[in-house]
Amino acid sequence: MGAKAGKDPVPRASIPLNPVFNWSVGNWMEYFYDSLKEGKIMGSKCPACGRVSLPPRMICERCFVKVEDWVELPATGTVQACTTASVKVAENGDLVDLEAPEVIAMVKHDGADTCIAARLESKDASVGMRVEAVIDAGAANVLDLLAAYRPLG
Amino acid sequence: MPAPRTYWISSRPTGRWDKGGDNVDKEVAIIAYAQTKYEADANASRELQVLEVTVAALKAAGLKREDLDTIITANNDYLDGRTISNMRLVEPSGAWRKNESKVEMDGAFAMLYAVTRILSGDHDIALVVAESQASVYGTYLPGIMMLDPTFDRQRWLLNEVSAAALQASSYMDAAGVSVEQIAGVAAKNLENAALNPVALRSLKGADAKKVLASRPLCSPITELMASPLCDGACALVLASAKAAAKAEKPVWVKGVGFSHDSYLTERGSLDNMGSLKLAAEACYKQAGIDDPASQIELAELHECFAHEELMAYEALGFCDPMQGGAFFDSGATKKGGELPVNTSGGALGANVACAAGLTRVIEAAMQIRGDAGKHQVKGVKTALAHGQTGLCAQENIVYVLGGE
Repeated sequence: MGAKAGKDPVPRASIPLNPVFNWSVGNWMEYFYDSLKEGKIMGSKCPACGRVSLPPRMICERCFVKVEDWVELPATGTVQACTTASVKVAENGDLVDLEAPEVIAMVKHDGADTCIAARLESKDASVGMRVEAVIDAGAANVLDLLAAYRPLG
Repeated sequence: MPAPRTYWISSRPTGRWDKGGDNVDKEVAIIAYAQTKYEADANASRELQVLEVTVAALKAAGLKREDLDTIITANNDYLDGRTISNMRLVEPSGAWRKNESKVEMDGAFAMLYAVTRILSGDHDIALVVAESQASVYGTYLPGIMMLDPTFDRQRWLLNEVSAAALQASSYMDAAGVSVEQIAGVAAKNLENAALNPVALRSLKGADAKKVLASRPLCSPITELMASPLCDGACALVLASAKAAAKAEKPVWVKGVGFSHDSYLTERGSLDNMGSLKLAAEACYKQAGIDDPASQIELAELHECFAHEELMAYEALGFCDPMQGGAFFDSGATKKGGELPVNTSGGALGANVACAAGLTRVIEAAMQIRGDAGKHQVKGVKTALAHGQTGLCAQENIVYVLGGE
């Protein structure tokens, strides 16, 4: 080891471990993203309990059944939780300060039972605030199709 | 030595598993434990830290490696940067050519595995070892790797801190809890940690003001409300009733319950810890606890963030729903209160991924045995320990421990 036990730190080596996983997003998420390109917000609906998931889920954990029904949802929803983030996680895993704080919200769309975590374009966000999705149907990256929410009205 | 008693393991408060145990009349005791000092960057490899706690725990139990029947480790391939991360822990945990297995969650769940191994009747002595080193892995990357890879992970908004902040926001709104009350929890635990020789972070004379003045992370969470992820290891020796008969001051596992909640965006609401409540109910049923606030004398909770402790008061039935803030304000959970919580400083004093929950079990057992040194609370006979895994406390486990 070289270092005297109990005195010096153990020598450190940065050894890359960069496995790449080629996940399929699955038919459900693919349909969700394709629908956003047409400006439609599609949630999945459990055939047994009627619970609506957005983003869509393929299995209802409560009814223990495969979910195959779809429902189009409005762009409006309510903030369930929100935070002003002053930090983000850097690629090395450290928490680093953001240049400007940003608001992250959990939004429950009208007609949905689950939440989407997204950026909220508001400086005075609060729980219960009514918001609408900002859809950029022309975005090249599917993640930018539904990138943020803004206060309603 | 208590009389043999029917014992069973259940993941839910009601259901057919609860009928089980008719043929089981064994008990399981904690007979020894050991912890490293928790450090930001330990001057030892994980293997040496595991060796340190294994040797110390065996010595405390008066046992040799040959006496170990089964060894369960808690560690994580991602955190250790290698697949089958328990492989090189075989040597330092005394597991060479023995019955060894691993749980890739908190050590409190590895302990559950060890408890069931003993209850099977095939083993008398089990060792549970938990470790990780935050100085080795990218500290906040594992939290991001827990996210749904097809959606949340790629958006890079949620992480351990922002997810916890969203839960805090939801809880504060529902229960009318103030940021000062959350900061107060952190101040209490950091003050307690000053008397715990193995804690990493402590603050003598801590108050809510100092906590609120620390670096802002994601509102309402500031740096001192977030547990410090760090390096360390801990070990626990469990024994069957037969083997524990020879042990000094055994601490009995009176009950255990565990439950797994939905992924954080799918819970409907984050304003309560539903799976912790179910875990506690199952545990209390086994342990014969029907009034937790009066029957439990001390609790060690795995609060990764300060607000989780308030939410846990409610889920564990220490107070009524939505009364976590008021219960904290009553002073009951301070050292010297009626139900001291986290006299060790809790996870806010040191949070070793995979080990922080098992540490809570060890600290609770230390209190029952009168082993807790400067942070000892007098006369503790029944104590609760809690462990968790996942974002926003997705999976929870609760133990009730008791002395003779």
